[in-house]
Amino acid sequence: MTTLVGETSLATASALRGRTRMRSIDVLTCVQEAGLEALPIVTIVNVLVGAILAFVGVIELRKFGADVYIANLVAIAVLREMAALMTAIVMSGRTGGAYAAQIATMQGSEEIDALRSFGIPLLDYLILPRIVALISMMPILYLYGSAIGILGGFAVAVATLHISATIFMTQAAGAVTMAEVFFGLAKSVAFGALIAIAGCRVGLRAGRSAADVGHAATTAVVVGIVGVIALDAIFAVCANTLDF
Amino acid sequence: MNGTAAKLQVKQLSVGYGDRIVQHDVSFNVAAGSIFAIMGGSGCGKSTLLQSLIGLLRPSAGSVCFGTENYWSATEARRTQIGRRFGVLFQSGALWSSMTAAQNVALPLQMFTKFNAATIDALVQLKLSLVGLDVGRDSMPAGLSGGMVKRVGLARALALEPDMLFLDEPSAGLDPISAKRLDDLILDLCHGFGVTVVLVSHDLESLLNICDDGIFLDGNTSTAIAHGAPKALRANCDDPLVHAFMNREQPAVETVAHGG
Repeated sequence: MTTLVGETSLATASALRGRTRMRSIDVLTCVQEAGLEALPIVTIVNVLVGAILAFVGVIELRKFGADVYIANLVAIAVLREMAALMTAIVMSGRTGGAYAAQIATMQGSEEIDALRSFGIPLLDYLILPRIVALISMMPILYLYGSAIGILGGFAVAVATLHISATIFMTQAAGAVTMAEVFFGLAKSVAFGALIAIAGCRVGLRAGRSAADVGHAATTAVVVGIVGVIALDAIFAVCANTLDF
Repeated sequence: MNGTAAKLQVKQLSVGYGDRIVQHDVSFNVAAGSIFAIMGGSGCGKSTLLQSLIGLLRPSAGSVCFGTENYWSATEARRTQIGRRFGVLFQSGALWSSMTAAQNVALPLQMFTKFNAATIDALVQLKLSLVGLDVGRDSMPAGLSGGMVKRVGLARALALEPDMLFLDEPSAGLDPISAKRLDDLILDLCHGFGVTVVLVSHDLESLLNICDDGIFLDGNTSTAIAHGAPKALRANCDDPLVHAFMNREQPAVETVAHGG
């Protein structure tokens, strides 16, 4: 894993300097798979999480007559934590597993051997496009997921808790800072890199049978989800230590 | 060897997976411009040996020299350079499944040449025509027949104008007519373009018709038990296993293969 992270970092640095054999068509294909095609499930999960936060949060807040602060709770929780985390978990299951399965299938069909025999760098051809796609799409999905999550909370607050739309928006806007948005963006980039690297690594280490493909997909999903949650905990500890 | 210079020299090569040695102490030379066969029964280690020749599996002992250069003692960058001089056709065709037939042939050209798109397109058309594939260039591999997959795989192997071709079971799974066409194509490449060919096969008809030289691997002893042209081995070899194989007979003593 350390080797792959190191090699990927070097290859990414080379790519940033314009020295890469990574093909733009591969990046665009991966971007489409990891971005546009992920929107429906990211929408569903985040809108529901926002709605659940509103429903659950108001139970406690109502005891103090602080119903209106549900906007603060939803906005902060979604932007700082839930949108990045839930989107990463969704992407781990959806995209990390797919990366592992795709690459494991290529092992079984000798496609990886064919790349190696030509001396086509696996890093440039297979791994980097996937990492670039996820790293670039995750922040966008995070921002989209945040907006959708707050919208879910907003819908519940307005429709069932009888909080006015204007008050909700005013409270929410006052509650969040750009620092929280940047914190969420940083987390989403780290989660994207982790999911892509884990998926590719598991796929490259897979065996050559059909059962190995299934095993690789499952392993990538598990490693991705556990890794994302562990990384999120590290972010939380760091933020707490820095009093952020 | 026909008295010509050796293009490939394999000396005391041992190959395997971890502690499991599939073939050991294998030595042979491949003459430039010849067709060399690696023969043997299923599971004797032919494809494993081939993997060591094309740089996919580091041997546990011995050397593989292209010309005078020891492949496995070279740096990784140099090995990659040497590897660009040969083309490989894998047993399954191993076409990149997310690309059309034409894109499969084009990828090495895009990666390793500075030709523009129009030139690459023309070269792709040329390579596909060379292997007799005038239709299906825009089909995905899943939509191609077994014979077409092999032909596209061969066109891809020829993309960078290699001076050595490694073919793993080229006629496996093909009907007799397609297999004969492929044999003719290999002969044309060898005799017309001077390409040196190393092929792994247990297709007796192909071996007898096109190969100039070869070795016979035994999975039981995990080593090469016979050297020579398939026709000569058929006529003269005293080894019961080789004799049985080359004459499609039941071996006198049943052997159990070890290798992968």
